[in-house]
Amino acid sequence: MEDRLREAVARSRADYTEVRWEEVARSRVAFQRDQLMALEASEEAGGVVRCLVRGAWGIAVFSDPDDLPKKVDEATQLARTAAGHVTDPVALAPVERVEARWEGAMGRDFRGVPLEEKRRLAEAYNKLILGHAKEIVSTSVRYTDTWRRVLYANSEGTFVDQGIPDVTLMLAAVARRNGDVQQAFESLGYAAGFEAVQGKEDLALRAAGRAVELLSAKPVQGGTYTVILDPQLAGVFIHEAFGHICEADFLLKNEPMRRVMKLGTRFGVEALQVVDDGFIPGARGNAPYDDEGVPRRRAYLIRDGVLTGLLHSRATAHKMGAAPTGNARAVSWEHEPLVRMRNTYIEKGTATLDEMLAGIDRGLYACGAFGGQTMFEQFTFSAAWGHEIVGGKIGPMVRDVVLTGNVFETLKNIELIGADFQLIGSAGGCGKGGQWPLPVTDGAGHVRIRNVTVGGR
Amino acid sequence: MDILNEARKKAEAAELYEELREGIVVHFHGGEIEGAGSERVRARALRVIAGGRLGFASTAGGGDAALLEAALLAASHGDPAPFRFTDGAPPGSPVPVLDRDVLAIGVEDLIAWGEEAVRAIKGEFPDLVINATLGRGTVTVSVRTTAGAAREETRSYLSMTVSAERIRPGDIWSVYASRTVRRAGDLDREKILGNLLRELRWGREIASPPTGKPPVLFLPTGLPVLLLPLSVGFSGLSVVLGTSPLKGRLGERAFDPRLSLTDDGRIPYGPRSQSFDDEGVPTGTLPLIEGGVVRNFYYDLRAAALAGARPTGNGFKGSPMGGGGFRTPPGPALRNALLAPGPASLDDLIRGMGDGLVVSGVLGLGQGNVQSGAFSNNVGIGFAVRGGRVVGRVKNTMIAGNAYDVLRDGVREIGAQREWTFGGLYPPLLTSGVSVVAR
Repeated sequence: MEDRLREAVARSRADYTEVRWEEVARSRVAFQRDQLMALEASEEAGGVVRCLVRGAWGIAVFSDPDDLPKKVDEATQLARTAAGHVTDPVALAPVERVEARWEGAMGRDFRGVPLEEKRRLAEAYNKLILGHAKEIVSTSVRYTDTWRRVLYANSEGTFVDQGIPDVTLMLAAVARRNGDVQQAFESLGYAAGFEAVQGKEDLALRAAGRAVELLSAKPVQGGTYTVILDPQLAGVFIHEAFGHICEADFLLKNEPMRRVMKLGTRFGVEALQVVDDGFIPGARGNAPYDDEGVPRRRAYLIRDGVLTGLLHSRATAHKMGAAPTGNARAVSWEHEPLVRMRNTYIEKGTATLDEMLAGIDRGLYACGAFGGQTMFEQFTFSAAWGHEIVGGKIGPMVRDVVLTGNVFETLKNIELIGADFQLIGSAGGCGKGGQWPLPVTDGAGHVRIRNVTVGGR
Repeated sequence: MDILNEARKKAEAAELYEELREGIVVHFHGGEIEGAGSERVRARALRVIAGGRLGFASTAGGGDAALLEAALLAASHGDPAPFRFTDGAPPGSPVPVLDRDVLAIGVEDLIAWGEEAVRAIKGEFPDLVINATLGRGTVTVSVRTTAGAAREETRSYLSMTVSAERIRPGDIWSVYASRTVRRAGDLDREKILGNLLRELRWGREIASPPTGKPPVLFLPTGLPVLLLPLSVGFSGLSVVLGTSPLKGRLGERAFDPRLSLTDDGRIPYGPRSQSFDDEGVPTGTLPLIEGGVVRNFYYDLRAAALAGARPTGNGFKGSPMGGGGFRTPPGPALRNALLAPGPASLDDLIRGMGDGLVVSGVLGLGQGNVQSGAFSNNVGIGFAVRGGRVVGRVKNTMIAGNAYDVLRDGVREIGAQREWTFGGLYPPLLTSGVSVVAR
């Protein structure tokens, strides 16, 4: 396939051509209550051609490798058609030609683990949760592994052959008492081998215990609080609220927002450092080379509270006079790359949780994450559970905790950043432009923020 | 080789799902065409029952032998199959889902429609950033089983999504309109833009909403806040697993008597209509709520077998419109969800509200304990009503409540004008009992 890719891009008559061909081997085990809902080891392959003609993209997605030469012509033709309507042509920032081969490391290669063993692992976690308490009525336990081999060639002579491992575990418990149904979950995701998901019995029990506990928790009372985010939720916060608006494709055609996101602008306290990193050993968001063949680069988004960088593809870097950062990523061969995050985190601070609690008369400790969403500066994220903070102490558990706010105000309202940094790769992923779930990790320590709006009854 | 014939030699039963997706798409970014794309993807999934056990495998680009081997391997470690694959019984009359006029729409047409949308919005709101995606194509699906089922259907789609962003430092908001149809003539571009422009006009000013528990009017695009929990609660699988609050409540009046909700797979050219589901079971029309009473749950083959119920043709792989679900085994999902309309016009509903909140879209839909019915969302697109008039859009506003409670005790009035959104046909719904918090 490598030769076919090289030949196809060399022969193309477009101004620029790239081909990505992916060969994916994946397996999955999923239990719900006593039902084995999925047990699978499958393989798939497919590709995408992207051509640039006079500043317009043409893209062709295909699954038959014999179609490749035809698809280069098709993408060229599509680009030509679109080019007739373009007034602000796309161009690509220069990058060095790359010839690279790379494979992610695995302790125990999951491709060699029998499907039966993967089943046994998931089944054992499932039994543990089901047997934990009489209130547990159902579960959702899911193991997945994916080996994504990505061949990439472009007409500038770059060729990259990467093997990227991804392994995830989702442990969810559903508890019911009278009419009330509550759920709790723990999830993991790593660019690692089978070892990363073994020995997680404590997490399974934690999910089960919390689902039962939530049955007795009251819904949070809506209002404005000083909030302490646990590391997981703080990571989701920085990803959702801030990371997405640093994606330069969002800023590209958006003059007013580009002025807001001007490098050098102060966004937060001096202690705030925000990073998007393309490689941390074992981290799920790793992209040693992105899907434009650009080597990873560590992007400091905020340094000492000041905006110092954005996330770029080659096209956005060209338009904004920046260097590509290696953030052009596609969720699969069915899609073209978009500007996406990788491993995004708030760097380790100095505060302890006790220091954060001190002085909060009435506040909220928000933990775990169902997810989050942004609409530009407006963000929202759902904590998996929370606790009231009363008189500087962690109090009773509350549920249905959703926080919302304006990211610029909220960043300025960060009071303390914890020393207890954690990098967290969950079993889910990031969604954008119809591409989901892209493996990413988020990270942070505990973070204390004043004046956060919490929805509630 | 015929994979089913091969499978028959090594397994008691097999089911082959095949899909071929072919389409074109154009993207507008910042009011301008950015590129055009095409796709042609063939993907397959095979389920087998071998030694009484169920196995599954899927592929794109892979060969027959590897697919069969993978499914048999899965079966060898699988559990006893709780159901049988669909047999060859006649599937009933086909539902019209293919409009050849859609296939005649070219890249140039889609670009022209996108440019037209940009012009229409810019004409009135020159400062907005406008993005749009338009696409059309077909998905051909076949489901064949060793029990004799052989179904095949080509379904067309045509879709248009337009968003408009108003950006001022410290005040950014975005509205969008989206519609997917199967028949070219059903894409009412003027109406899509009309809805979008209405919200832009409503949102010229910023206004603070009444807080506490004011009347809240859900527009069709906001109604999934209340209906998403029901789509989970009415799933036969949730009922079997014991996670649905509706378990054991068939025949019970669990909702306001004016509410009727039907799941219909047979609406001619309905956006999620199809003659058979992804397990080859003929789709049908299934009343879920009639006059507030819980009538039916919906099932795929597995959930039906576990519940001792009849499959209802609700077995779907991924999203039936978007395709791409070949990777997962089928599970129960709604087809076209239809909420019966009421008598009130939208203007009357707003006039009758006094002081209240209109919800057109939320952030974080489905992120929470959906099964319980609890919702708590930021109102991404919402409008304050004062004295029966929309006075402006809201900011930093959250709504919270429980969908089951609101739909039982909090239905004030149901609107007359329904709109297709998120695969359902919904009227506006005026409610009470929803908490509103704003800063």
